[in-house]
Amino acid sequence: MDDLRQQIKDLMVNELMLQITAEEIGNETPIFSPEGLGLDSVDALQLVVALEKRFGLKLPDAETARNVLRSVDTIAAAVPAAA
Amino acid sequence: MSRSILITGANGGLGIGIATAFLEESPENHVWLGVRTNRSEADTLQAQHPERVRIIELNVTSPTSWALAIEVILATNQTIDVLVNNAGHHDDQLLAMMGDDAWQTVIDSNLTGTFNGCRAVARAMMGQRRGRIINIASLSALLSPPGQANYAAAKAGVIGLTQSFAKEVARAGVTVNAICPGYIDTPALSAMTPEQRQAATAKVPMRRLGKPEEVAAAVVFLATENAGYITGSVLKIDGGIF
Repeated sequence: MDDLRQQIKDLMVNELMLQITAEEIGNETPIFSPEGLGLDSVDALQLVVALEKRFGLKLPDAETARNVLRSVDTIAAAVPAAA
Repeated sequence: MSRSILITGANGGLGIGIATAFLEESPENHVWLGVRTNRSEADTLQAQHPERVRIIELNVTSPTSWALAIEVILATNQTIDVLVNNAGHHDDQLLAMMGDDAWQTVIDSNLTGTFNGCRAVARAMMGQRRGRIINIASLSALLSPPGQANYAAAKAGVIGLTQSFAKEVARAGVTVNAICPGYIDTPALSAMTPEQRQAATAKVPMRRLGKPEEVAAAVVFLATENAGYITGSVLKIDGGIF
């Protein structure tokens, strides 16, 4: 597993105080689906803030955020190459 | 640890009282006094503590004014640790005779101003994983006297907003609480006639008005580390009226 995906998972576990380990988060696990991690809108906002602070990733509207935050893979794809 | 504290409506009796209490609590507290038109009291306080008090232009009903103020504070102090939404005014009238302006301006300064403030600091505080927001409501929100439909509605709204918002940011280490002061002896109360003042005092089981320090002490406490499990709560400071 590459370093960026690991960083994203670690960030999620720490920022959102998840009760699971980074290893238990799959790259394609749906973050907000009940079948996946089942996070809620409060988690989503915290994740948006944390991703911007850590990676400079800007998610200007709800639509963009929804698409980018589907899984660790989609977040990794969206992180600016320069960050 | 150095902390930056923004107090809106900082020129009034309560605002100055809160600012003074924070300055006395710790030499590491840096206080920003948000003012609009009146600033004489704020200027005096700044002159007494030139290293730790800054005055900042802030119109709480304007989102852009808020954004600019927070930008300046973050550029200067790197963090915004405490926000005290204290700005507001009342414009009493019986509802049946209340004009549009009296209704709207009171809602704007008290409720919308508080909303604007909470929104302006939310992301910064969540990013810090640390923050304290104290909203100054009023006993009027709970025990609403005639003539204050606008003020009571606005302040009750502040309580609802406080409770809802508190749940949203709790996980990020930010607490949001409301204080309901009763009759506090400030220049604002000097608008009362001596008879009104006496009538108000008679209603208080303690038979006296509250002092600004007695409200400020609660604000300072809610901003401490030890108050970290208190959020979405409403603290009334009223000498026992309600």
